[in-house]
Amino acid sequence: MAHSAVVSSEQYNYDIVKKFAIAAIVWGIAGMTAGVYIASELAWPFLNFDLAQITFGRLRPVHTSGVIFGFGGNALFATSYYIVQRTCQARLIGGKFWPEFTFWGWNLALAVGGIGYLFGITQGREYAEPEWYVDLAITVVWVVYFILYTGTLMRRNQPHIYVANWFFMSFILATALLHIFNNLAMPISLTSVHSYSLFSGVQDAMTQWWYGHNAVGFFLTAAFLGMMYYFVPKQAGRPVYSYRLSIVHFWALSFMYMWVGTHHLHWTAIPDWTSTLAATFSILLLMPSWGGMINGIMTLSGAWDKLRTDPIMMFLITSLSFYGMSTFEGPMMSLKSVNALSHYTDWTVGHVHSGALGWVAMVSIGSFYHMIPRIWNTTLYSTKLVYNHFFLATIGVILYITSMWVAGIGQGLMLRAFDQYGNLAFSFIETVSFMHVPYIFRAIGGMFFVAGMLVMAYNIYMTIARARQEVPATTTATPVQA
Amino acid sequence: MAQSTQPIKDPLTGAETTGHVWDDTLQEFNNPLPRWWLYAFYGTIIFSIGYWILYPAWPFASSFTKGFNTVTYQTAEGQEKTTHWSMRALFAKDMQEGEFAVKQRQYLEKVAATPYDQIAQDPDMSAFVRSYGASVFNDNCAACHQAGGKGVLGKYPSLADNDWLWGGTADAVQHTITYGRNGFMPAFKETFNEEQLTQVSNYVLSLSGLPADADAAAKGERIFNTETGGCYYCHTKVGKGLQSQGAANLTDKVWTIATIDANAKPEDNLTKIKAVISNGVQRQMPVFGQRLNETEIKVLTNYVQQLSAQ
Repeated sequence: MAHSAVVSSEQYNYDIVKKFAIAAIVWGIAGMTAGVYIASELAWPFLNFDLAQITFGRLRPVHTSGVIFGFGGNALFATSYYIVQRTCQARLIGGKFWPEFTFWGWNLALAVGGIGYLFGITQGREYAEPEWYVDLAITVVWVVYFILYTGTLMRRNQPHIYVANWFFMSFILATALLHIFNNLAMPISLTSVHSYSLFSGVQDAMTQWWYGHNAVGFFLTAAFLGMMYYFVPKQAGRPVYSYRLSIVHFWALSFMYMWVGTHHLHWTAIPDWTSTLAATFSILLLMPSWGGMINGIMTLSGAWDKLRTDPIMMFLITSLSFYGMSTFEGPMMSLKSVNALSHYTDWTVGHVHSGALGWVAMVSIGSFYHMIPRIWNTTLYSTKLVYNHFFLATIGVILYITSMWVAGIGQGLMLRAFDQYGNLAFSFIETVSFMHVPYIFRAIGGMFFVAGMLVMAYNIYMTIARARQEVPATTTATPVQA
Repeated sequence: MAQSTQPIKDPLTGAETTGHVWDDTLQEFNNPLPRWWLYAFYGTIIFSIGYWILYPAWPFASSFTKGFNTVTYQTAEGQEKTTHWSMRALFAKDMQEGEFAVKQRQYLEKVAATPYDQIAQDPDMSAFVRSYGASVFNDNCAACHQAGGKGVLGKYPSLADNDWLWGGTADAVQHTITYGRNGFMPAFKETFNEEQLTQVSNYVLSLSGLPADADAAAKGERIFNTETGGCYYCHTKVGKGLQSQGAANLTDKVWTIATIDANAKPEDNLTKIKAVISNGVQRQMPVFGQRLNETEIKVLTNYVQQLSAQ
């Protein structure tokens, strides 16, 4: 190949990929540890220690922002910059400064927002908690990200744009749209950290959940499908199963997701027709979602043995299985009759985590184990530790989601049970004490997952440390292409 | 960047690639859409169209498609009304005709129309009160008075015993729940010197027959029952307490503020009583008349009386 003359670590901007990858792991451990702590507070309330800053309400957005935007966001920046360069055979535009700007801008915005949550500075919009000044900073960073990404795409040395890049483009565009419109607000004053939303009442709730569900749809799904479309075929060494399926499910997914947010508001003061549309589009979304799962899993046809021998493949394929499971569960929960049971219970929390831990985290972890040795031009320190990580993560997810099924479905059934006098059979507090044991198992599940992340951090640290030791010996020789 | 533009046939599966290659190895097969996937997708489309035909679905102008499903219910004016499927109508209908709602309403109407003493004599109505009252109590009262009404010593009085600060008759309990109560005993640390405090405390211990210094108690009684202390204003000269003031009966061995134990060392009990007299007592029961309706308060009153009778 003609480009082999240029070493990929010189041809591409790997420095920025490295920064984002390390940040993702750091945020992942911090955000997931915060999650384990708040889960433990629910099981053992003394852990609040009467400190307002660490109570569930304050710490929960630190957990969600930490894992979604800290871990997930940094992982997406890292992999998208890696993928766009390699599939376009073009160096990331913007020189050294602008990619660095997205790195520091994104991470500082998250840190400022997160510290604010501890002191009660929040918009109170789920997954959009940062106040106006952080929102403005994020907007600037995002526009720069968009320019760097499209600019690099336009400089590609390839006639076609690879499928992973379609998904990243749709993620970047949709996230910009969602972020800007959901955060339209008027600051109380230019020196105040607080602001008022531009919307009120039902419109406010619907705007928030249009944002909230599409954060799941475009940030946590489309973008990670982009990641999947690069790393699964790369790791399997097999072509993507179906080009046609990727086109059809990409457009169907992008079109359908925008409609479904209102299913978070079933049985509230919303108009009935919005509820119906949200429920039906959620059902329509089932097969487009599964398109990605099929395309990923079927890519392994001809290489099924890798599921036994390659722990990175185990991560990637397990993540697709959880993706398939939670994109089946989601449409079911969007039906009004099922939602009447599941809404406001921990079933929702379990569902989110089967997507967040099972799909988002595991596909990122698998991708990182593939990518990190390549950007440091070395090999992984220990494959055995990847196996260990895989089992810790899988046990953790399964403990988490099964305990939340028990807690959520159990509470849902208790809250709708009547006795022989026509009275509610259980008071709210009785459902809370019922959930104590599942809450303990949930916290333990989270601990397993964090333990896995620590194993990963050690493995990656050793990999990078070894790569640095190797560098002096090879400076004079021609480095081997990754 | 010599990228192949010719489709390649895969030896393992027989599928052809599209001919595009990225990053040296990335390729795509030109496989058709899986049939089952496509038909399942069509299935969800048919399901959704069916849903749209039956329920309110698509907006147009300032209205929306109503769907063929209807709900018939009684309006607030008592007229029968048929409307397109709607959450509100469905809720109204369920509260009017639903099996459990009807049963509960019949019981509630019966309880509302029956005097307290007759409810207590009717096992069926009493059982209803226990069931309905338990959820009202657990949602509104248990946060302070605890499950089963056992209370928290020093803060929230026990409702499970037969000792009442503000009276245990149905009327008194109903009044307490409806309007709330402000329990107040002044702090005497500015009024009494150490000696007087010890004397009054000894007298209080002696009132319920606990070991006390007889001499000091006699002096304490003079302080208690004269203008020096003025304790008798609320606790009365015999120490039984005025329920109109929420003043505790000091003669019945039931303690709601300090943990007084007949088997404890007398000096320990004395220290605790002195602390209560020094610091006074402030307790507040919130108003529930604005949160609960009359029948709910009636059921709750009966339920609380049942707790204390157990």
